Amino acid sequence: MHSIWAVAKNTIKQALRMKVAVIFIVLLAVLLPFMGISMTGDGTLKGKLQSFVSYGLSLTNLLLCLLTIVISVYTLTSDIKQRQIYTVLTKPIRRFQLLLGKLLGVVLLDVAMLIVFSAVIYTITVYTPKFFNTSEAELTQLNNEFYTARASLVPNEIDITKETDESYERLEKTGQLPPGVTDSQASRRGYKRALANRIELSKRAATVGQDLLWEFNNVKPLSSDQSLFIRFKYDVSVNPPDLQVFGRWNIGDYRQIKYGTQIDRPIYRFDRKDLIRTFYEIEVPADAVAEDGYLAVSFLNVPLNNTVVIFPLKDGLEVLYKADSYTANFLRVVCLILFRLIFLACLGILASSFLSFPVAILFCLVIFFASSFSSFCLESFAYLGEGASGVYSYTMKPIIQLFPQFDKLNPSKFLVPANLLSWSLLARVAASLVGIRAVLLWLLGLLIFSYREIARIII
Amino acid sequence: MEYAVETYSLTKIFSDLWGRDKVYGVDDLNLKIRHNEVFGLLGPNGSGKTTTLKMLLGLLYPTKGRSVIFGGDGSDPKINARIGFLPEESYFYKYLNARETLDFYGRLFAMPSKVREIRIEALLDMVGLKAVAGRPVGTFSKGMARRIGLAQALINDPDLLILDEPTTGLDPIGTKQIKDLILEMAGRGKTILLCSHLLADVEDVCDRIAILYGGRVQAEGEVKKLLQQTNKTEITTGSISSSAVEKIKRIVKDEHADCNVSFPMDKLETFFIRTVADAQKQGRPTSGAVSITQIGEFLTAKSAGKSILDKLVSEPVSGKTDQQPSVTEQPSAVETSVNKTNEQLLSELTKPVEPVQPTPVVKKELAESIEKKLEQKKRDILEQLTDGSGASQNKDKKKAGHHRGDSSDA
Repeated sequence: MHSIWAVAKNTIKQALRMKVAVIFIVLLAVLLPFMGISMTGDGTLKGKLQSFVSYGLSLTNLLLCLLTIVISVYTLTSDIKQRQIYTVLTKPIRRFQLLLGKLLGVVLLDVAMLIVFSAVIYTITVYTPKFFNTSEAELTQLNNEFYTARASLVPNEIDITKETDESYERLEKTGQLPPGVTDSQASRRGYKRALANRIELSKRAATVGQDLLWEFNNVKPLSSDQSLFIRFKYDVSVNPPDLQVFGRWNIGDYRQIKYGTQIDRPIYRFDRKDLIRTFYEIEVPADAVAEDGYLAVSFLNVPLNNTVVIFPLKDGLEVLYKADSYTANFLRVVCLILFRLIFLACLGILASSFLSFPVAILFCLVIFFASSFSSFCLESFAYLGEGASGVYSYTMKPIIQLFPQFDKLNPSKFLVPANLLSWSLLARVAASLVGIRAVLLWLLGLLIFSYREIARIII
Repeated sequence: MEYAVETYSLTKIFSDLWGRDKVYGVDDLNLKIRHNEVFGLLGPNGSGKTTTLKMLLGLLYPTKGRSVIFGGDGSDPKINARIGFLPEESYFYKYLNARETLDFYGRLFAMPSKVREIRIEALLDMVGLKAVAGRPVGTFSKGMARRIGLAQALINDPDLLILDEPTTGLDPIGTKQIKDLILEMAGRGKTILLCSHLLADVEDVCDRIAILYGGRVQAEGEVKKLLQQTNKTEITTGSISSSAVEKIKRIVKDEHADCNVSFPMDKLETFFIRTVADAQKQGRPTSGAVSITQIGEFLTAKSAGKSILDKLVSEPVSGKTDQQPSVTEQPSAVETSVNKTNEQLLSELTKPVEPVQPTPVVKKELAESIEKKLEQKKRDILEQLTDGSGASQNKDKKKAGHHRGDSSDA
């Protein structure tokens, strides 16, 4: 333990005195307050705060990630290259202790920097309203839509394979299949896929006069006197002249009507006109939720419109409700960044166990950026790999899936729309990112480092 | 366990990218180094000396064969704790200063902080870097870096000291000091493995040597036996009259042997040390290392019964500050050096050390008062030491004994 701690302390000194960390610290120390003053967003106070949190956290996250990669790679490769490791490893220290000490040093430095900079961001976001003449209404809006942590529910994906098959069989029986479809396996599969897309689209598209219904279970707001928010975005088949869509929304427990019982929970109705392709939120009192956590949301494409209204696949509609405080959410988001940094530190140590400094840095950066755009990578590889599906799914796919998916858990994705990052999600991230991936990387690094001839110069 | 270090047909082959054998770094090496022996590994550049050391310490893995240190593996922390290693070049963290460097290495041995502090101060004193202890090691000259390297190798008071080219880059005083240190450590029962191509240094200190060439041992044996010329006799006298010389020549002629009379010159080493001593006497400031040939007390202390660690912990209790032990060393060094001419010169070096240190120049009055107090303290301690402790007398004898052989050429 003594030796691990000695190595950790030395690593921190190295990072600070070799001025690697200092550059990043100065950059952040200058940029964050500057951003706090200069960010305006969409002109409202909420917009200002949102853009500050978004850019501030993203910048902190990016710089700390790069710093972690640089330090964790530098600390071991320079020891090996400048041969200080000769005098260290001949002292009573085992190789795993050296690697553990290096990791501990980098992580401790990360923790310290993260605490400082997230404290700066937090303080600026919390105290900004006090420096502006904030109206009561604006404050309420901020409290509802920014200084909070809202749980988000999205509609369940509906399994449409059965429906597709049935529809295909019906068409086949009645002889309505277009000519040439039954010629080969491939063309049949292609037609089925097109059919599935059409059915899937119909589940989230409303023709004129048609309504769409979404049902949610497990809606658990903090208390029933608070508000729910329905966040949505319209897409259309034909652009209306003023780019606006009329909609009638009904929100409440639909089952009351279905089964003809007396209505004892309110069902709220909203008639609105909104711009297409823009996010809107409808505020609904939380007593619309049934006692068992059931909530139904319906949208009617009123005949005033002359277009099909489509809700985009990923973010077309979600139900938001307050589930925790801003502070707690902020803390968890910071933890999220920390887990990412721990992963990168282990990656850096693995890379420097067998590569020289420039190569190891490149290696880490490639993995870092691939992880930051993981969904893009996965999609494009899946597309490219279609031709060689067998080869692809047994070689590239598992490797890409080993990469963490940083973009799916972007810190600003939670704080900007005040989305709840739940403890359970955080724990899952910790387990998969730190518990499994980081530990595996570190162990692999140790394995290589243990069998490596330290004094052997690798060119 | 008869031997401290053993190798069994130790072989290292450096292969190329395709795994083909390329260079025999070390070839079938069988070394046996006894306990308490000063062993010299000699050889021209690239003969496999450093490769052998690296294999002993587990920095390289042998292609074939095995090496054993103290009955164990050279990369085992338990064995490492008893080894001090000075690599061929000084590789240190450039951003740490001398004191922090030693502190870092001390921590790797899990030394209690008290012991660490005392040893660091003693070692800094010993290698003459106390005045520059706060400077980053990266700004050190080669010789100064070498000194800090030596200090880190000694911080655990090792049972086996492995020195790779210990005297390269050092000034003659430093070289002399290392040689003294080697003899001192050997006197205390330590084993020393020395690797060098500076033959004069090896000749002075080694009991046994092995000469490597092409990774193979070409010659091995005791230095005295290997070098002794049985057909010659050398007589050295004090200043005598020319008639006496003639008499001696006649006697030798009667023995039917050739006689050659010459007047020995001062060794350049001696002359150099004297010159530097004079400069130090005049109090010329230096930003470099201040050479004094005293050896850290914890390295010279007898480990009879009590472990050295215990001793170190118990010692500062009598004194008031942690600096105490380094003060107590001063008189003992002066005391021992009275015996020998070489030592006399060196003791002169020890005296002007105080004025050279930067503070007195700035605050002269304060420094003088402190110096007086220090002087008083030294005297007190000196009295204590000379009064009763048999150990210190013993130590002196030991030291004197070593220098007899060493300085006979002076």
